[in-house]
Amino acid sequence: MAETTYLDAIRRALGEEMERDAGVFLMGQDIAAFGGAFRASKGLYEKFGRLRVINTPLMESGAIGAALGAALAGHRPVLEMQFADFVSCGFNQIVNNVAKTYYRWEAPVPMVIRLPFGGGAGAGPFHSQSPEAWFAHTPGLCVVAPSTPRDALGMLKSAIRDPNPVIFLEHRFLYRREKEELPEGDVLTPLGKARVVRSGTDVTVLSWSWTLHESLAAADELAKDGVSVEVIDLRTLSPLDEETIFASVRKTSKVLVVHEATLTAGFGAELAARVGEQCVEWLDGPVRRVAYADRPSPYNKKLEQRLLPGRERITRALRALARY
Amino acid sequence: MATSKTPNAAAPSAAEAVAPAVLRRAHFLMHLSRAWDSRFEAMARVGRIGRWYSAVGNECTTIGTALALGAGDALSTVHRDLGAVLTTYLDATRLAPTLFDAADATAWDALRPDPSALLDRLASQVFGRREGFTRGVDRSFHYGLLRPEWGIRHVGMISHLGSMIPVASGLALAAVQDHTDRVALGFIGEGATSQGDFHEALNFAGVMKLPLILVVENNQYAFSTPLSEQYACARLSDRAAGYGIAGETVDGLDFEAVHVAMRAAVARARAGDGATLLECMLPRMRGHAEGDGSYELIPPAEREGYLAMDPLPRFEARLAALGLADAARCAKVQETAKAIIEDAVERAIVGADPSLDEALRPVFAPGEVAEAFARMSTEVFDG
Ligand SMILES: Cc1ncc(C[n+]2csc(CCOP(=O)(O)OP(=O)(O)O)c2C)c(N)n1
Ligand SMILES: [Mg+2]
Repeated sequence: MAETTYLDAIRRALGEEMERDAGVFLMGQDIAAFGGAFRASKGLYEKFGRLRVINTPLMESGAIGAALGAALAGHRPVLEMQFADFVSCGFNQIVNNVAKTYYRWEAPVPMVIRLPFGGGAGAGPFHSQSPEAWFAHTPGLCVVAPSTPRDALGMLKSAIRDPNPVIFLEHRFLYRREKEELPEGDVLTPLGKARVVRSGTDVTVLSWSWTLHESLAAADELAKDGVSVEVIDLRTLSPLDEETIFASVRKTSKVLVVHEATLTAGFGAELAARVGEQCVEWLDGPVRRVAYADRPSPYNKKLEQRLLPGRERITRALRALARY
Repeated sequence: MATSKTPNAAAPSAAEAVAPAVLRRAHFLMHLSRAWDSRFEAMARVGRIGRWYSAVGNECTTIGTALALGAGDALSTVHRDLGAVLTTYLDATRLAPTLFDAADATAWDALRPDPSALLDRLASQVFGRREGFTRGVDRSFHYGLLRPEWGIRHVGMISHLGSMIPVASGLALAAVQDHTDRVALGFIGEGATSQGDFHEALNFAGVMKLPLILVVENNQYAFSTPLSEQYACARLSDRAAGYGIAGETVDGLDFEAVHVAMRAAVARARAGDGATLLECMLPRMRGHAEGDGSYELIPPAEREGYLAMDPLPRFEARLAALGLADAARCAKVQETAKAIIEDAVERAIVGADPSLDEALRPVFAPGEVAEAFARMSTEVFDG
């Protein structure tokens, strides 16, 4: 069987859900005949036509607000931000309008906002950011970041079917690098459930998306030292699967959080706080974090690599933690 | 009006005449809206409610436009659009049977629910009561009501002005995608036309030829900011050309002019000919919010001029000229409207507060995300 890339998995999810439900439609910049900046929707315009694969003008706020209107009319918009960084231009619509509608007057807002995010490409301060914490802080948004093609497929399909707004973070670096064989048929991954990717007994790593893969590589290194690392792919950041996290912490007693977003007030701070509040009796060391240094992302690739939380830094942090 | 930005619409010609049933319904709805404002203004003056944003003066515009909608059209309102809400929600003929003939009821009225129950919910909403549309979690007109079976598809505002214009464009987009001839009507104050969302949404509406009518309620001021500090074009409707949509400025105090312009805009939208920016010129008859000092900032002579422009006596003079209402009928309409509002407000005042659990109600609609949220600890540890 042929392998499917992360990007192809996204395209498959979009196509299958559009096929299944005539209310599902795509909106974004350059997504129609061109297929989007990363070609995630390539071929769908030809199949579903101009009212279901809509090229918008160069706007984010207006597109997100329009998607909200369509969702309130019973449709299921899937919106692509050309790069995650540009979602800041639609921030107000997301955090004030989209996120609060259900709480305020109980109208469901079935909407997915896809964010191709992350660094590693030397793309500079405005095409490299990891914005998950901006949204995880807002009640009413589901925030997900799959790390594998299978979860990209299964979680996007689940996100499109869910009656709530989902911020869907797709790592650009994984788009063409991650591949795996995927089953035929309706592949669904539940939202709100973490996955223990590698089980271990000495240290727990909590991560997602690109840094999940770096954490797995670091865990291989630690295994050579005889340290058994459990690696958990959070997959959904909000709402958080505390059960899976706390069960692991109670087993290993040590926690390292790894994320690509900048350190201060990053989502790792939330994880450390929850582990501290609810598992302190089990902890045998500090909850540590490996994250991007508190700087914008530099353009020069060597400078960027200096700040990215890759496998070497994770390995060092794990070794230090293992010594407690 | 103390401005060079005067209406450009001609008086309606005979061919554009507005049906007597529409004028009679408008008359009652105007008094209903005015009675509501008077009641809440009085409460704001004595401190029984914290804030009140009055819609006095906007009635011809909000009611004149909303009366051109049909069942299933979408409505998006902001803070001075009670008239449009009442027009859309209420079967006026059932609410005030002594004022109407059976023939005044429309096909849409046959779909609408008990009007006094809806009015009670609206009053409860303003007081943050349990029976309000948001059951106490959001303020006065910050809610929506999506009941297609009643022909009502209303999306209320959030505080961030301008934010609802893209949403209205999305409601219009859905109508196109569904291959229906439904339209979306949105309202916005002239101040909020300076927001980026105004531009993004109207540009999108132009590109997609969306069946959207955006009504600008140009009441000369935004909080304390006069037009001269808000925009530099002659008329806001001139901006329509920049979006490739229709634009018109009308006297927002002239019910028939507003209604006829709106009817034309709705006809264009239903025919697939795209969006309209309809600017309605209004006087500033009240301050930004009652008692916030913003009205006192307007020079007294200018203020007097605005207050003298009250659209209600003008509309009643027109009804008299058309032989549709004499002084006795006008008094009866006013009294009936006042009594209906008084009853609804009194009931809401003594209405129950929501249970405290409402504060912690779900932020997610039912499904696996909502279930995951329910499993997660979302309150601080304080024990
Ligand atoms: C985005 C945003 N900025 C500021 C405010 C504060 N604010 C509330 S009403 C208002 C003036 C609105 O003026 P206009 O749009 O002309 O409506 P009017 O009150 O005159 O009907 C302002 C500045 C707001 N609600 N939203
Ligand atoms: Mg104004």
